[in-house]
Amino acid sequence: MNVPTEHLLILAGLLFSLGALGFLLRSNLIVVLASIELMLNAANLTFLAGARSHSTEGALNLDGPIFALFVILVAACEAALGLALVIAFYRQKQSVDIEAAAELKG
Amino acid sequence: MASLLFYALSAIAVLCALGVVISRNPMQSVLNLLGSFVALAAIYLLSGFQFLAAAQILVYAGAIMVLFIFVVMLLNLTDREEGQSVWMGLFNGRILGSLAVFAGLAISGLIVTTGNLAAVDGAALDAAHTGGLDNMTSLAEVLFSKYMLPFEAASLLLLATLVGVMLLAKRERSTPAPGSKDRDVKA
Repeated sequence: MNVPTEHLLILAGLLFSLGALGFLLRSNLIVVLASIELMLNAANLTFLAGARSHSTEGALNLDGPIFALFVILVAACEAALGLALVIAFYRQKQSVDIEAAAELKG
Repeated sequence: MASLLFYALSAIAVLCALGVVISRNPMQSVLNLLGSFVALAAIYLLSGFQFLAAAQILVYAGAIMVLFIFVVMLLNLTDREEGQSVWMGLFNGRILGSLAVFAGLAISGLIVTTGNLAAVDGAALDAAHTGGLDNMTSLAEVLFSKYMLPFEAASLLLLATLVGVMLLAKRERSTPAPGSKDRDVKA
């Protein structure tokens, strides 16, 4: 693929900003979690773009793929925990809107 | 050809990400997220990261997505259709999602039938490594030597997550646990 690394990074930046936008603007807990997954994916793409540009003919750069693997693992843990929290939250409030969690509001 | 595919897949990934943010229905958000994951997996494949593409499909598009859809359906959040305009139909997850899945399948098929990445990739670097930029043997060698400690820490993290999820999602007991003192009083 002849695509320059910059374009991969631009794609990662776009995906990350869309994820951050969803995280900040949406009030549905599930969409917030989905946006976090989107941001982690963008981070993964950045790791792989770096590994791709640092790999030479003789020596592959394997740090990037390994880190991406760990990011995938952490994302899986985060999704499982986050969705368990959503279920616990729904059980208490009968809603998944983050505005429903306002007990600590002064 | 490969570059064109890359830009098309990038457009699909970004549009699906946009769909995640602006869909009113959580189910449509999650389906758009699936499209974004599959498009990204195809991009990994195009860039030469074959194992990561497989892991992306298995873990993200398989496990995490099933978890999301399971929770959306369990909490019955799918019945809100208000606020849909006509052009939002593009983001209802069906068109873009299936487009991403078909693109991913087409690229995988191309790679499997031609046997190496050189047919898909014009770059000399990628052509030199027909096993991909992350072939599994060298990846495993690094993972089990240089990154042994992070690997162990990751397994500990998985165990902690397992216990945490079971604690969090467990239903609160309305009746006392068996063996407690006031069990006979209630019964």
